[in-house]
Amino acid sequence: MNLLAIGCSYKTTPIEVRERLAFKDDHLSRAHTELGAGFDCEAVILSTCNRVEIYAGCVLDDLKSQRELDAESIVEFFADFHNMPLAEVRPHLYIHRQAEAVRHLFRVAASLDSMIVGEGQIAGQVKRAYEQAVHDDSVGPLLHTLFRHARQVARRVRTETGIAHGHVSVSSAAVDYVKQVFDHFDDKTILVLGAGKMGELTLRHLRQLKPRRIWVANRSPEKAQAVAKGCGGEAMPWEKLDDLLARADIVLSTTGAPEPIVTRERYQQIDARRSGGPLVILDIAVPRDFDPRIHDGDRTCLFNIDDLKRIREATLADRLKHVDPAEAIVNQETKAFLKDWARRRHGPVIARLTQDFESKRREIVSELLGKLNGRLTDDDRRRIEGAFRLLLNRLLHGPITALTEETHTGGGGHTLLDALRKLFRLQE
Amino acid sequence: MERITIVCFLASYAMALGLEFLNQIRPMRLIYWLALAFGSAGLVAQTIFLAVQQPPLSWQFGWMLFLAWILAVFYLVGSVHHRRLSWGLFVLPLVLGLVGLGAAFGRRPDSSASSSADVLSIPTAWGMIHGWLLMLAAVGLCVGFLASLMYLVQAHRLRAKTLPGHGLRLWSLERIEAMNRRAIVLAFPLLTAGMLVGLVLMFQENLSGWTDPRVLASVVLWIAFAVLLYLRFGYHLRGRPAALLTILTFVLLVGCLALPHWGQGGGR
Repeated sequence: MNLLAIGCSYKTTPIEVRERLAFKDDHLSRAHTELGAGFDCEAVILSTCNRVEIYAGCVLDDLKSQRELDAESIVEFFADFHNMPLAEVRPHLYIHRQAEAVRHLFRVAASLDSMIVGEGQIAGQVKRAYEQAVHDDSVGPLLHTLFRHARQVARRVRTETGIAHGHVSVSSAAVDYVKQVFDHFDDKTILVLGAGKMGELTLRHLRQLKPRRIWVANRSPEKAQAVAKGCGGEAMPWEKLDDLLARADIVLSTTGAPEPIVTRERYQQIDARRSGGPLVILDIAVPRDFDPRIHDGDRTCLFNIDDLKRIREATLADRLKHVDPAEAIVNQETKAFLKDWARRRHGPVIARLTQDFESKRREIVSELLGKLNGRLTDDDRRRIEGAFRLLLNRLLHGPITALTEETHTGGGGHTLLDALRKLFRLQE
Repeated sequence: MERITIVCFLASYAMALGLEFLNQIRPMRLIYWLALAFGSAGLVAQTIFLAVQQPPLSWQFGWMLFLAWILAVFYLVGSVHHRRLSWGLFVLPLVLGLVGLGAAFGRRPDSSASSSADVLSIPTAWGMIHGWLLMLAAVGLCVGFLASLMYLVQAHRLRAKTLPGHGLRLWSLERIEAMNRRAIVLAFPLLTAGMLVGLVLMFQENLSGWTDPRVLASVVLWIAFAVLLYLRFGYHLRGRPAALLTILTFVLLVGCLALPHWGQGGGR
């Protein structure tokens, strides 16, 4: 195996450089083709907003001379492809070789190298990068096996550790609070106040709960219409705000009002008119739209932007606790991959060695038996054949065991494989 | 079989509760299964105890043990179906409390048990129906009590803005309130029917026992229950006040069971 992972990420490279080094979607096929043709290797390009990486590898034919992939040539390719001076590109790139490259990909796929540890997007991006490379016919046995294994590692890390638990976006954290109050949403009404950008994101998450209806109220009727159209809701007059608040179940408030639009006194009057269940208010406006004193955790549950951010911070802190177990899984899987790959590579050599010895044994035994023809009983023949077979097994036991042990200890067995090839002239 | 005592299942339930607490602090699959195993062991022991000893429902002792047995079944079913919830932390203390209260009442029948007003002691089908209707009504009230406790805890968590997923794992306010509502809506007709059957049986005895403390306590309980239902549905009382009122009714139920007993010097 000859594997390289060359690239840059948000950790090593500023966004200005990453933008220039990124492979645009319509350039990926050309890049895959040029890599394959120029370096006679398999290649997968992973280009996201946080990282740009080339995974290049080739399977070394054990019976031929080894050919090392030249990392510096691929670095030059990086610079040339984007028409950037090599001197400008080189300091930003990291190079991982062999086992380190395997481990790096597994960490990337498991979201251990992500800006937000445990985020779920990267696994999909790795999968799409691999599928694009398959489409461009730049993937061979090594990268096929490696990327499939990377997907398994990502899945294992997500299911066996808590690294992906919880919500890290403010908008999705809002849903966590809402679910503490309500059980089902098909009879609930969401009232959206204002038209802020954050409100749109939060509303997108709330819509996934499939509420009965969405009302949108804004001081500007046109804006209310626009937001209502975008979310499949109904625009309502701002003047009926008190009435709407008395009938809604969930309020998403994101106005740009300079002072609270619902004071405690005003809310007490609204609350007196409410006959249904509790009201959840997600006040993500800054300055806040609702007087915080109306929150009682029973009839009225008011959560503001700081409450939602606390969920995000707690989730991130919680995820960090799972990094060590996740790293252990990655290390374990890296070793497993390398062993498995070595076993696949050594298997044919051992088979060829055994076949070679076996054919020679048969040849010698049949020659001997031919010379002794007529003077041997069937029992003698069986004993002679058994003795030669035993000799063969004992001769091969040493080299095969040594090679297997080398594989199991993760050594790779390059030197031993070379020695076997030369000693037993397997090349020929 | 006859060597099984109250201590056997009381200890099993206590162990299960301890493990439930441990699972709350450090959630582990093994602890969950151990808690379930101890809970199951307690239930089996209690079932054998009830089958062998056959304490009559006319004694508070038997009544409490049967009620605790039904709630222990609730604990196991709830823990299996809602394993992520802190279900056991609410149900097991009640089970332990009822068993403990039953043990405190003592096994021997109190003086009123042999009175003519004790319709439960009448070995007729109607006497059994009367007893079981009251028992099921009490189960409903116990479930309502548990739901109310959960509601108050969840409301407190929301008031304190405790992070979702941290601390006790509970259902949403809406679901807990629905559980409370269903429980008391089912319990009241059962209580009413049980009392009507008791009234008919008392008429057969020429109303000789209507001054029995337990009969009077049951009437007080029924009135309290009716007030709870009126406030809940007629006055649309919801949320925290409704939960507190349900808890109060449950306390009254326990009082109804305990006062006549201790009032007559039982349990010594």
